[in-house]
Amino acid sequence: MDEIQKKKQATSTHKLGVYLWIWGLLFVLSFFSYLVDWFQFQGLLRHSLILIFMFLKAGLIMAFFMHLYWERYALVSVLLWPMTAVVGFIVLMAAEAKYTVFTRLLYFFIGG
Amino acid sequence: MSDNSLNNLPGGFKGMSHDMGSDQTAFKGAQWGKVMMWIFLLSDTFIFSCFLISYMKGRTSTVVDWPNTSEVFSLHVGGVPVPLLLIAIMTFVLITSSGTMALAVKYGYERNRKMCGWLILATAIGGLTFVGMQVFEWSKLIHEGVRPWENPFGAKQFGSFFFMITGFHGTHVSIGVIFLFIYARKVFRGDFDNAKRGFFTTMKSDYVAIEILGLYWHFVDLVWVFIFAFFYLW
Amino acid sequence: MSDEYNQKNTPLEAQSSETMTDISGTTSKDIDYVRPAELPEQDLYHGHSFITKWVFCQDAKVIGVQYFLTAVFTGIVGLVLSWLMRLQLGYPDLVPFITAEHYYQFVTMHGMIMVVYFLTALFLGGFGNYLIPLMVGARDMVFPYVNMVSFWMFFIAVCVLMASFFVPGGPTGAGWTLYPPQAILPGTPGSNMGIILMLASLSLFVIGFTMGGLNYIITILQARTRGMTLMRMPLTIWGIFTATALAMLAFPALLVSCIMMTLDKMLETSFFMPAIIQAGEVLDYGGGSPVLFQHLFWFFGHPEVYIVALPAFGIVSDLISVHARKNIFGYRMMVWAIVGIGGLSFFVWAHHMYVSGMNPWFGFFFATTTLIIAVPTALKVYNWIITLFRANIRMNTVMLFCLGFIVTFVNGGITGIFLGNVAVDIPLSDTYFVIAHFHMVMGVAPLMVIMGAVYHWFPLVTGRMLSEKLGKWHFWFTFLGAYSIYFPMHYLGFIGVPRRYFEMYDSPYVASATGMNEFITVAALIVGFAQFIFIYNIVTSLSIGKPAGKNPWKANSLEWLTPEVPPAHGNWGEKLPVIHRWPYDFNVPGAKEDYITQTTPPSEVMSAEVEKT
Ligand code: HEM
Ligand SMILES: [Cu+2]
Repeated sequence: MDEIQKKKQATSTHKLGVYLWIWGLLFVLSFFSYLVDWFQFQGLLRHSLILIFMFLKAGLIMAFFMHLYWERYALVSVLLWPMTAVVGFIVLMAAEAKYTVFTRLLYFFIGG
Repeated sequence: MSDNSLNNLPGGFKGMSHDMGSDQTAFKGAQWGKVMMWIFLLSDTFIFSCFLISYMKGRTSTVVDWPNTSEVFSLHVGGVPVPLLLIAIMTFVLITSSGTMALAVKYGYERNRKMCGWLILATAIGGLTFVGMQVFEWSKLIHEGVRPWENPFGAKQFGSFFFMITGFHGTHVSIGVIFLFIYARKVFRGDFDNAKRGFFTTMKSDYVAIEILGLYWHFVDLVWVFIFAFFYLW
Repeated sequence: MSDEYNQKNTPLEAQSSETMTDISGTTSKDIDYVRPAELPEQDLYHGHSFITKWVFCQDAKVIGVQYFLTAVFTGIVGLVLSWLMRLQLGYPDLVPFITAEHYYQFVTMHGMIMVVYFLTALFLGGFGNYLIPLMVGARDMVFPYVNMVSFWMFFIAVCVLMASFFVPGGPTGAGWTLYPPQAILPGTPGSNMGIILMLASLSLFVIGFTMGGLNYIITILQARTRGMTLMRMPLTIWGIFTATALAMLAFPALLVSCIMMTLDKMLETSFFMPAIIQAGEVLDYGGGSPVLFQHLFWFFGHPEVYIVALPAFGIVSDLISVHARKNIFGYRMMVWAIVGIGGLSFFVWAHHMYVSGMNPWFGFFFATTTLIIAVPTALKVYNWIITLFRANIRMNTVMLFCLGFIVTFVNGGITGIFLGNVAVDIPLSDTYFVIAHFHMVMGVAPLMVIMGAVYHWFPLVTGRMLSEKLGKWHFWFTFLGAYSIYFPMHYLGFIGVPRRYFEMYDSPYVASATGMNEFITVAALIVGFAQFIFIYNIVTSLSIGKPAGKNPWKANSLEWLTPEVPPAHGNWGEKLPVIHRWPYDFNVPGAKEDYITQTTPPSEVMSAEVEKT
């Protein structure tokens, strides 16, 4: 192995332990989100727990398995900023869904 | 992946403005192929987001009851229904394969050909198992009378969204599995050590390709995290 | 690039033209210093046979021309369809085969072809492919093979689209917005094979475009030449770049709505389909939401408008600057305006849905965001005008088209502000006022830019100039003609003439509309035929046009500075160019000539007071 390659090896890979830790955490988090269903939590508690575990898992996968944590901010921000468009879409569609169900209930059952 | 000459650059937000203001490349040290995969995944994220947003809108605004997923997807073990058992196993398998893939990337960069190849194969097998279980799940639901156009347990849209979203995700997994097998072969053959030229593109092979493949595979896992949360658990 | 990132300890320092710190940390006296290359030379595939050189070609320039020609071909189909519609509107029943069904099909195909297969493909596929590598100083796109596949996907998409003219039932007649439920129900023309082929073709287009789009984005971000910072790129590249980014994020919504509608049609799912009784019979559908489709469609549809407009903004800025011999006023402002418009365009989509029955609060939200977009847009218009102010304007064909663009764009932009307000839009929506608005803003205005751009870059692509005399005729016919078509349509809209109507029946306003409709039809035919002047000009100039030589317009940007004109495969011969400045150094005080090219090192123009870029 020549000099350049050795250098490359030293900098471009990460310790095995990091991966194993993340791996383990992912299993634990998945187990927790399964428990949410197992205990039949309902309502706000259920939804917020689901979301928390989901974002934690997604974050771990992106940050470590996909190496985003080690990437330079230029790439990270170019990838994450467009998500605001998705967030906007989600918020507006949530409002729209409420309105749709409102009109349906009004016209189908109450009679408009 | 980072690289020696990058260590001389400012990091964090300062580094970001430095990189964006510099000439030649905006993402210092990121290979073309890797950036391409990232941007593609960004676009694919929008696809899945649109699917999931449509699904959530459909589910929230239906006036017919949405089926209780915890019951619909339960399996009977010794006569007792265990909620979401199959889905839990599928999640387990997919996360396992994601882990092996992450290690394959690591060993690839360390030029550990054997390790890298076997780990990719393991990933591919995990993917295959996942697809197999999905086939099982589909046939179980179809057996119970769920169709894209109808659903004995409640709102029609349940069947439609289920088959469409898991089908689209399953297609991603299957494509990934095919590429995993192809790349496993390439690794074992030593294409990446000898910079062999690709058959179609005529470009030189490099271990970066494994990281790119890995990005795709982790993305498939990532999407499953969201589907698991919104479709099965919600 | 297949090799790893250059290891040779390259100093990755910020680039500025005055002081440079080199590796050893001492300040270099050399004002021409540009830091060394980060990337190794690009590995290119060189075609040898006719097929690999001209058909399945990996050279972005050839792919650009292929895209251009295919898009123009579909554009001509769209043009012919518009004639047929106009004939029917101006002289009802003159052409017997234009029935109501055919009229709907023509409207639909015309709209879809013009927006997606003509303008989008032309700007991004055509101009993008040709200009991006040249303007940023790359040898080719970063993934030439993928780029080639991208074109052929587009080609197949066009074939599928054209095939729908020949299937039983003909092409779909649902309107280019393809709204369900009617798009897939019997009673709408082409509701079987027609709509399925349309959806398939759109999906193919999206897939093909994604391949191309990845190339454009990554070439711009990662394959620029030495000295080319983002803020030294021509605005053309900024426009194309932002438009491509929008496309990568907006087309997914189109793809998803296409998939869901295909399933609704073929598997009778009910994503978009509510319970429906048709001719006394209850259909199997139920529980779906047609408004959901509209949201998905316009989440794509509005950014799509900017996908067409932003490259036009960028290109026109460059054309104005070159032909007015003056730097573009407020370059940085222009860049941020482009990026800002791009970002905002994802938050305005439901202004197309004011009358759709969506959540009533949305009207307020979307009207606000829509009007906010007017700010950066107006900024750009001011900057174009200030650039022209007291400039050394060359009144050639290119400049005429640029001026034509500004006028039509301002016109369309102002009517846009009308339509952005809910209360004003409600009476105007689905009338000819809307038709006039969007034809001005995204039909005629971008077309003006395309034509100007063809006059501008034709010498680069072919080595010969187009005839100025024919060009001026072409301009005046097109500009005055287009105004005669669309200006009266505003009035038609005010009196309430609805869009997508095959005839006006016995409505009271018919009397005042008839003469005007005839006039518009005549104008449309004249404008259409005037385009043959253009085609004639292109075809004859290919062989008898004045040889252009190098850099005929005395422009600064890189595409004119290749060692060979027209540029050869690999663009730059032996050595890649090195950039020292932005492309807008025109009429710099103290300089010998009225332009300083991007590759001119500072030491050669010591006395010139150039902008620091
Ligand atoms: C000489 C050029 C053109 C003429 C004479 C023309 C004429 C027309 C006519 C008569 C209609 C149908 C109006 C109706 O019945 O509702 C129409 C619709 C439309 N046109 Fe054009 N057009 C031209 C160029 C363009 C261009 C360049 C674009 C590109 C943006 C375009 C985009 C559209 C769209 C999107 C529609 C709406 C289709 C629909 O309602 O589904 N047109 N045009
Ligand atoms: Cu809009």
